[in-house]
Amino acid sequence: MTTKDALHITKQKMTVYQRELLERMNAIEVDAHWFRRAFHAFAASFLFYYLLPDEEWVTIAKILLPAIIVACMVVVEYQRLRGDVDHQRFFGLRSYEKKRPASYLYFGVAVLLLFVFFPQQIAIPCILCASFTDPVIGESRHYLGKKRAYLLGFFVSFFLFLGTWYRADGWVLILVPFVGAAAAVIGEARKFRYLDDDFMIQMLPAVIILLLWQGLLLMQIDILPPPVIYPVSL
Amino acid sequence: MGKQNTIVKENIRRLLLRLELWFAPLLLIVPLAVSLTFVRDWFIRGVCTGSSEFDGELFIGMIILVGNALVDIPFLRSIRLLRKKE
Repeated sequence: MTTKDALHITKQKMTVYQRELLERMNAIEVDAHWFRRAFHAFAASFLFYYLLPDEEWVTIAKILLPAIIVACMVVVEYQRLRGDVDHQRFFGLRSYEKKRPASYLYFGVAVLLLFVFFPQQIAIPCILCASFTDPVIGESRHYLGKKRAYLLGFFVSFFLFLGTWYRADGWVLILVPFVGAAAAVIGEARKFRYLDDDFMIQMLPAVIILLLWQGLLLMQIDILPPPVIYPVSL
Repeated sequence: MGKQNTIVKENIRRLLLRLELWFAPLLLIVPLAVSLTFVRDWFIRGVCTGSSEFDGELFIGMIILVGNALVDIPFLRSIRLLRKKE
């Protein structure tokens, strides 16, 4: 056998191996249900935003980059709804999302608004509620029924708010988690025609707690605890 | 040989369209990295300096770690199960 023959045979074998590997990878099926759940939980990673340094250029990037990402999502969704991009390419979308913006866009817009307009003490528990309470309610609905699922969701949200506001004063430690958890569950439970529950579960508690904070501030009572996450320094 | 190359190219094209296969490793690795970053930050800036100001970061890190683990394990098992069925 000459070197040329050996190289030719090796190349053939590598092509066959490559083809088999690609076919096996294409045969992998991802479960859409758990993919959505994992996507929800993944969103909690966005809280890394608050670890980013407070330098001037970083602060500008912290506003611009999320805005650009959300703008790209808007463009993609617009094209999908127009039919320019095949709906099938978007793995995990539900059937009702064929003719309206997908929930990931609502999620992204809510996160952007929380980052830009709300203090982290309000934004963090709201994002955590969307990341974890929503899937908890969704999963437990099948096993526990609607009412118990929402009750469980309330306690999960209460715990998330409690953990974020743990440095607040005594009565605030009960009031804010209670109000926040209730608003989060209402935002998830009530179906709004033009607003997805992924948006409402974040914005409803955030707005209510913001109003509560600002209202009490007018009476010289500041309920906002110290920050939970401190930016690293460069 | 030409036919095999065509098949390989077709498989690569189909694979590139499978966005969920590209996202899946991200969904698993990024939350793990972020949660460990928070815990590490709590340890370095909090525990090592004797400050309790950073305890909130431990809470956030553990919530992200445990919350994602509870979802990612069934997610991984669902991928394996579907392959086994074939």
